[in-house]
Amino acid sequence: MLSCNDICLDYVEATRVTHALKGVSLDFSPNKLHGIMGPSGSGKSSLLYILCGLKSPTAGNVALDGTSITNMSDAACARLRSQKFGFVFQQPFLLNYLTALENILVGINPDQLSASVQKAESLLSYLGLDGMGDKYPSMLSGGERQRVAVARALIGNPDIVFADEPTAALDKDNGYKVMSALADWAVDHTVIVVTHDADMLKGADVIHHLIGGCLVDDQPSNVR
Amino acid sequence: MRHPLSPFTYLTRNPSKVLPMGFVIVLCVFLIAAVASIANSIDLTVRTIYRYTEFFTYVIPQRSTQSVPMDQRAILEMQPEIDRIIEGGVFFVNIKTVVGRLPFVVIGSTPEERDYLLKRIRATLVEGRMPEEGKPEVVVSQPILENRNLKLGDVIAGPLDDGGIAGSPVPVKVVGVLKSDIWVAMSSRTFTDKTFLLTPKCLLFTTKVPSDLDVVNERLMPVGRKGDGFLSPEKVNVLTRANLLAEVRDSLSSMYMIMEVVSATVIFVIALMSGMLSNIYFTQRIPEFGVLAALGISRARLMMKIVWETVILTVIAWAIGSVLSVFLLTYLAANVFKQRGLFLDAMDPWAYQHTLPIPVAITIFAMVTVWVRLKRLDAVSVIERR
Ligand SMILES: Nc1ncnc2c1ncn2[C@@H]1O[C@H](COP(=O)(O)OP(=O)(O)OP(=O)(O)O)[C@@H](O)[C@H]1O
Ligand SMILES: [Mg+2]
Repeated sequence: MLSCNDICLDYVEATRVTHALKGVSLDFSPNKLHGIMGPSGSGKSSLLYILCGLKSPTAGNVALDGTSITNMSDAACARLRSQKFGFVFQQPFLLNYLTALENILVGINPDQLSASVQKAESLLSYLGLDGMGDKYPSMLSGGERQRVAVARALIGNPDIVFADEPTAALDKDNGYKVMSALADWAVDHTVIVVTHDADMLKGADVIHHLIGGCLVDDQPSNVR
Repeated sequence: MRHPLSPFTYLTRNPSKVLPMGFVIVLCVFLIAAVASIANSIDLTVRTIYRYTEFFTYVIPQRSTQSVPMDQRAILEMQPEIDRIIEGGVFFVNIKTVVGRLPFVVIGSTPEERDYLLKRIRATLVEGRMPEEGKPEVVVSQPILENRNLKLGDVIAGPLDDGGIAGSPVPVKVVGVLKSDIWVAMSSRTFTDKTFLLTPKCLLFTTKVPSDLDVVNERLMPVGRKGDGFLSPEKVNVLTRANLLAEVRDSLSSMYMIMEVVSATVIFVIALMSGMLSNIYFTQRIPEFGVLAALGISRARLMMKIVWETVILTVIAWAIGSVLSVFLLTYLAANVFKQRGLFLDAMDPWAYQHTLPIPVAITIFAMVTVWVRLKRLDAVSVIERR
């Protein structure tokens, strides 16, 4: 289980300090879709980056199954991200010189590559992208690209998927497609989705509200 | 299936980024290889034209005397390694070289001595005949004919010849052609004696074991320390391979230095340029690396990926540049330089050695810039598009 304890984050600039997070403590229970909601600037992205080890908090601690990841070395943290975590960002960030299939497989270890090709293809068809594996990103629509990014997040069979505004650049239809894939994954894994679009979190098991860097309350939403 | 992060995938899918860099390397390799082998060709030219010095050594009297003094000859006779000492009359024919016309020595000797010397250098008559006694005739090896663009029966020296000591009061004809890579020209002693009255006679000697020649030469008149040998530099001079090369290299030393500076500068500039290029390419690829880093690809692996991309590109470009240089220089050597008396070795290892710093410098430059940039790479700012 992923949990964080009393996370604080200050952005220090030349003339002022922004307290982006002011003591956030949360447990992300497994096999659930966790939503993090809040207005713009409330610290949602910051929290997500700290949870996945891409950023270090000013104070506080993140632990995965009881082991702290906050003070891990860069290399150990990278290994953790590639083995246990999956990511979907607001933009798909596909490499434009790789095909959709290759983009899905970038994070795969070379020795597991041939075993993963089959899986990548089934992920493509699961996400409604049949036959698009050899297309380059420039030949795909925005929604298709984001679904390729979802497949890239899921190919490594991650325990936890982090998604920061995965639907923000999509229309409602494509947004739901992405969200339903993430909800499916949450059946037996942990999924953490940051968004300010409450519509997209209809299928969430738990929604955490952040306002001004503070957790407001845990409101259990309509359970599936 | 090749791994998506394999360096080959990047290199083959991004020709517009890879080719310009590769092209610059190819050109630089050619430039350096050409400059270095042309510089080296002067040395090679001297070694080619005067290759007979590998087989026998000339002892030439200093200006005041008409032949080598007896005491100096006595010293030669005391050397146990020496096989034969031959006194020969000499005159000179012009040959074309890159530095202009040069006199090339024709030896006048008896038929027996001539046969002995030609056997030494393993030259055989392939066309015509040997010069007749007292006649203005010479037998020459093929390279000299090619150099002068002459054939059997043509006049090789005459009263109208330009330049210095070369020429003859009577026209001298080529009556025989020798098959040999070694430049050599021979006439009869009776002809040289009656025609070139004022030209001093010189001695030439061979050793029993050909490879002893260098040792004997060095004992008689060491290179760079003429006075320390058995022979007296006031009375005679010796023409040996070692002192010929020493003189040429000495007179070319400033040119070699200029060449080293030029190639060092070129290599530095292109390494700098490609360092800047790889910096620009890296900037363009920041989103790529940022996302890969966020996905959990370690810095070390990203670094390896970029280093391999650079190494593969530079090595391939270097190889193409080298092959291209071999072809172009072979063509130039055969069709342009040879006629001008310049011998250029298109596969001169020394020249290609000079091109090696190009891929090495580029790789090192790329590694340093990329390492610095990767260390500061912040995945979050890439994802947040800052
Ligand atoms: N690199 C930074 N330097 C300084 N201040 C920052 C930096 N990143 C974020 N902030 C500030 O920290 C606060 C939280 O930012 P964060 O990006 O976490 O918000 P968010 O909830 O994700 O907002 P949004 O919904 O607009 O993406 C904001 O006030 C922001 O201005
Ligand atoms: Mg955000």
